[in-house]
Amino acid sequence: MSIGAHAPGWEWYYIGLYFFFGGVSAGAYFIGSLAEFFGGARHRGISRTAFYIAFPTLLVTPPLLIGDLGQPLRFWHLLFDARSGFPYVNFSSPMSVGSWALVLYGAMTLLSFLDNLVSEGKIDSAPFARLYSRFPRKLYAAVGSAAGFFIAGYTGVLLNVTARPLWALTDPLVGALFTVSAGSTGAAAIFLVMTWRRVHPAAELEEFERFDRIVKVLEIALAIGIVIAAGKYAGVLFRGPYAVMFWGGAIFLGTMVPLTANWYAHLAGRHARSEAVAVLMACLVLFGGLLLRISLVQAGQL
Amino acid sequence: MPKGMFVDTTVCIGCKACQVACKQWNGLPGDPGDFREDPAEKIPVAVNFTGNSYDNTADLTGTNWRHVMFIEQFPENRSGGRWLISSDSCKHCNDAGCLNACPTGAIVRTDLGNVVVRQDVCIGCKYCLPSCPFGVVSFSHLTGTARKCTLCDDRIHNNLGTACAKACPTGSIAYGEVADLKKRADARLARLKSLGHDKANLYGYKEAGGLNVFYLFLDSPTVYGQPERPVVPQGRLVLSSAVTVAGALAVGAAALVAFRERGQVEPGEEEVGK
Repeated sequence: MSIGAHAPGWEWYYIGLYFFFGGVSAGAYFIGSLAEFFGGARHRGISRTAFYIAFPTLLVTPPLLIGDLGQPLRFWHLLFDARSGFPYVNFSSPMSVGSWALVLYGAMTLLSFLDNLVSEGKIDSAPFARLYSRFPRKLYAAVGSAAGFFIAGYTGVLLNVTARPLWALTDPLVGALFTVSAGSTGAAAIFLVMTWRRVHPAAELEEFERFDRIVKVLEIALAIGIVIAAGKYAGVLFRGPYAVMFWGGAIFLGTMVPLTANWYAHLAGRHARSEAVAVLMACLVLFGGLLLRISLVQAGQL
Repeated sequence: MPKGMFVDTTVCIGCKACQVACKQWNGLPGDPGDFREDPAEKIPVAVNFTGNSYDNTADLTGTNWRHVMFIEQFPENRSGGRWLISSDSCKHCNDAGCLNACPTGAIVRTDLGNVVVRQDVCIGCKYCLPSCPFGVVSFSHLTGTARKCTLCDDRIHNNLGTACAKACPTGSIAYGEVADLKKRADARLARLKSLGHDKANLYGYKEAGGLNVFYLFLDSPTVYGQPERPVVPQGRLVLSSAVTVAGALAVGAAALVAFRERGQVEPGEEEVGK
């Protein structure tokens, strides 16, 4: 006899992956927008790369979300009332508001993506470029980064606002943790793609590391808070495969190791930095972010 | 005028007539997951038996909308002991977590106060499952949708009452106006208290905004598999969102500190270069 809410039976390869890709996209877009607003011309590399990441990463997510549905062809009921066809939103449901946020965010990332293509001359059509330059770039970057933050955080709120013991007890920290993790995985993705595209990442490496030093500390603090808040239900984070993912993957490999390497490089000075190590650490951050989502989503269903 | 049910567990004999009536009226088959093809047998073999109890479904599922719960409290040496039996179903909460959580509007409350999952609208996102503090709503792999007791929506809108109440041979399940049922429940509770059942209590007057299907228990709700203090999770939505926004602001501040400082240093570097 079990007391309390049923587990939804969400699969890690749908929901866990969606939470991860949504977070990477939103984190990257947000950092890109900040670079666009507050950075100098040198930061154009960051914002360009961020906008190249945000849209394709987001494109992965609708199939994941629709694939998890029991009636996939009815996915449009999330946005439109099934009977009347009018737009529908339920403000007490994070999933309903999140669906609309995904639409809004998707549109903004597409605009920024196209803007990149036009600016870099990859879309070579003068009428299109003329038409496109009429869209105010800063406006959609602002709307998109707000919507992006929503995408990064609502996934955690969605888990917290349930009656499953682990998720309910860790309320209200999971939303904040996923937001912070989205920031660090987004930055890691930007850094990796910049390295791959050879857009002088070495110059920005120090900034990325400075950013990571702050968010990784926040991330560890929130993760510890979550374990404490979970209290007697924290056991699912100490036993079995999700304990390995949470502690070994998300906390140790994804947070502690990059943070230690980061501090080491910081204290040893600029010349101690190696790009190979930085690339490896960025990969670890992404891997840890993925395991963080999977472990919290799946352990909450045990 | 909300309709509901009063489940007086003290007179339940565990005959499971309500379970059968529910399955028959609502056309609920056995779940395919409960059966296994056995090469030695011509028909699929049921594998879902609890094996340690007279309780046969152990839980509410997408095809078991009623669950006769057997609480068998016997010491090792079988001296003394007691049976507690309670027929469980959806409580049709006045503040329903599943309804609050539904992103498609598939879950609705009808004019009679019952909460129904509209099967032609539900997309099977399963978010209502963890949102029900009682563990009622379930996912059915047969339909690809969330399913649960409808309070016999079709019957009660034709003045037939619920199938389970109709089938109950002891009057343990009574269907009617919630206000009338509460009067009956209060009288029954007073009678039991006067007979010395000190722990007897009514479950569902305050929980989740009031339950239209409520219970008379002889012991604490947790003994009967019900949460002592069920929390409708959406009550935490505002605080949870606020803390997440704070997290977002922290990341924003971190990004500004990390990526802006350099912009301030840059002119200095350029000057040195000159």
